[in-house]
Amino acid sequence: MTTTPVQMGQPGVVMVPGDHICAFYRGPGQRDDVLLPFLREGIRSGDKCLCVLDDPDPERVILPLSLTVDVETSRSSGQFELLASDAAYLPDATFRPDRMLAFWDRNVGAAVQHGGYGFVRSVGEMTWALRDLPGVDQLVGYEAELNRFLPRYPQVILCLYDLERFTDGRMLMELLRTHPKVLMSGQLLENPWYLAPDAGAIT
Amino acid sequence: MRTHELEITPQLGRGLLSTMRSLLVLGQLMTESTGERQILDLAVSAVPSVAPCRVVGVEGVGLAPPCPVAGVAGQLVNLGPMGGPVVVRGEDWAWAYPLGSPLAQLGYLVVAAAQEPNGEEQFLLRALAQQTGAALANRQLHSQELATARELSEVNERLRGTVAALQRSMEIHARLTAVAVSGVGREGIARAVHELTGLPVAIEDRYGNLCAWAGPNKPDPYPKDPAPRREQLLRRALAAARPIRDGGNLIALAHPQGDVLGVICLVDPARTAGEHEVMALEHGATILAMELARVRSLAESELRIRRDLVDELLTGTDEESALARAGALGYDLQRPHRVVVVEGRGRAGGNDALFQAVRHAAREEPAGTLLVARGAQVVLLADTEADWEGLRQAVIRDLGGGSVRMGVGERCAAIADFPRSYRQARLALHLLETAEWEDRAVRFDDLGVYRLLIGNESLDEVMRFVQAWIGPLLAYDAQRGADLVRTVTHYLDRGGNYEATAAALIVHRNTLKYRLQRIRQITGHDLSDPEVCFNLQLATRAWQTVMALRTTPASPANAPANSGANSGTNSGANSEVPASGA
Repeated sequence: MTTTPVQMGQPGVVMVPGDHICAFYRGPGQRDDVLLPFLREGIRSGDKCLCVLDDPDPERVILPLSLTVDVETSRSSGQFELLASDAAYLPDATFRPDRMLAFWDRNVGAAVQHGGYGFVRSVGEMTWALRDLPGVDQLVGYEAELNRFLPRYPQVILCLYDLERFTDGRMLMELLRTHPKVLMSGQLLENPWYLAPDAGAIT
Repeated sequence: MRTHELEITPQLGRGLLSTMRSLLVLGQLMTESTGERQILDLAVSAVPSVAPCRVVGVEGVGLAPPCPVAGVAGQLVNLGPMGGPVVVRGEDWAWAYPLGSPLAQLGYLVVAAAQEPNGEEQFLLRALAQQTGAALANRQLHSQELATARELSEVNERLRGTVAALQRSMEIHARLTAVAVSGVGREGIARAVHELTGLPVAIEDRYGNLCAWAGPNKPDPYPKDPAPRREQLLRRALAAARPIRDGGNLIALAHPQGDVLGVICLVDPARTAGEHEVMALEHGATILAMELARVRSLAESELRIRRDLVDELLTGTDEESALARAGALGYDLQRPHRVVVVEGRGRAGGNDALFQAVRHAAREEPAGTLLVARGAQVVLLADTEADWEGLRQAVIRDLGGGSVRMGVGERCAAIADFPRSYRQARLALHLLETAEWEDRAVRFDDLGVYRLLIGNESLDEVMRFVQAWIGPLLAYDAQRGADLVRTVTHYLDRGGNYEATAAALIVHRNTLKYRLQRIRQITGHDLSDPEVCFNLQLATRAWQTVMALRTTPASPANAPANSGANSGTNSGANSEVPASGA
């Protein structure tokens, strides 16, 4: 798999295929500052874009994209897919990591193998994990397992964590340890806290 | 205890660099964090990753310790800003690292281990504690800024509200002031308040009668409270000294100097009126009070001018002055007038009731609009040849019954004739009384022989005639308190009819016969002689005339009340009245 740097969307921020990025932000405004350039750059570059949002009105969130890119065409062609978190992460009000990993495998695999896309950008808004639903306590394990999945395809996965909602510092540390890269304040950093899945149990 | 000096080998340096990057990332995450607990949780979770030890407590002012440790707080008092060792039961090594810089210390991160960490690990623990403290301080500053911003925002909001209220108040004031000076009256005030509030507006007089309405859904007929409830409402509004709610209405009083002249109502059954609407209503009430006071002042001025004019005309004034006053009132004084004097009383009410009754009747007849009250009498300057008896009956109707009599003077061809006509009217009234006629309207013109007698230059000859014919009877009546002059007067006025005379005097027929016998004896006159009867009757009428003249001064004096003063003003009636005929 190529390791050619890819523009993330924000000025001067580059990523490489295989990146599993944890983006910390505060509130919907900062979320959109990360999310929209990421998708815009992907649509412009011809990347497959998979976007799962937990916002009650996902269409409204991506509305500003249409000012700069042809969202209509990208969606009708299947390049850009927008899903609600209930449909992707919680199809029966339950979170099952294996099912979610299969979801990514199925969609990313199809895009690369049959859709002709050379690169896939996936982004997930993770606040759904704060709901009191079965399986959400397996979030950290799921995030760790994603690191095994990422090298299989030319892709990046961007996980969006709202610091105003994820207030438990201990949980944040655990999540920090499952992402090789962290995006904060417009900077994409190698995450020194990251523990690879094979490095041992997550503390 | 091992030294804290760092020995950095190349291999150690790479590891240290990696750990420092970890701290930087963690610091950045702490900086982005939303609360103190989140920051402390991050620190507590990170400690085992930078050194083989654990956090046993976080101590500090204002911080909620995630894991307090007993007995440490007392030891921290003696520690300096750099921190130091502490004793924690069951632990071989424990250290309190200051949270933040020596200049801005927030507390201590207390860590413990089974054995003392090496120098690098202790350095990292200290750095982590400093970073945590910096993030906490940053968060506290941020919270203070947020609180200050919120406070400023609230102050600004209040200020905006105050400015908006002031602007609104100025708009209301300007709009209603413009209404006040434009002279559009009550209708204009109601319209302006309606436009300012969006609610229907009614203006009522103090009795609840509708005077002006602005807005939709005007009730027809307009509801009116019974008088007692109305008075109760006005008292309540006066006591409140601000708009009050009365059912679906919000009402305010127009009461300059405490005298309620009117009421302005916002029709607001849904109770939507807020501060601005109440303000507009209050301003409207003030402007209405000014308007009603102005109207009342004008009315009072006009009334005063009318009263002054009538007074001057009745007492005698120069023509130029009278015409000027009349011109100011828009009144044509050069039409022929008669002075009419009305006396009487209704079943209820006093002189004001009589005045109002004459005013109404004169307006309806029509008989004139200039009138004044003078004591128990009302004087009307009639500018038409009215049906005087009809006018009298109209006054009685207006009073709701009672007794009314009316004297009407001769026509005034000039301004100078008013005093004469006035005296004639009063003479006619007094003759009604002295001659014991029934209440009626009497024109001086119709007084017949009385008018002839009054018209004499001197009454001396009249009095000599009276003395010659009924002088002994007058003296007898005066000495004995008898009633012989009245008896012979009624007897002759009824053509010698015993029945009619006895009924008029309310005496028995035998009493009448006895009195007539005494009259024959005292005077020596034969009452069956037509010549004697004529002279006796003339003498009784002459005596009535003298009595009327005696009680009717030529000039009524300046005061509105009756006066016995005799100014000697020239008049159609004789001004020389003997003191007594007896």
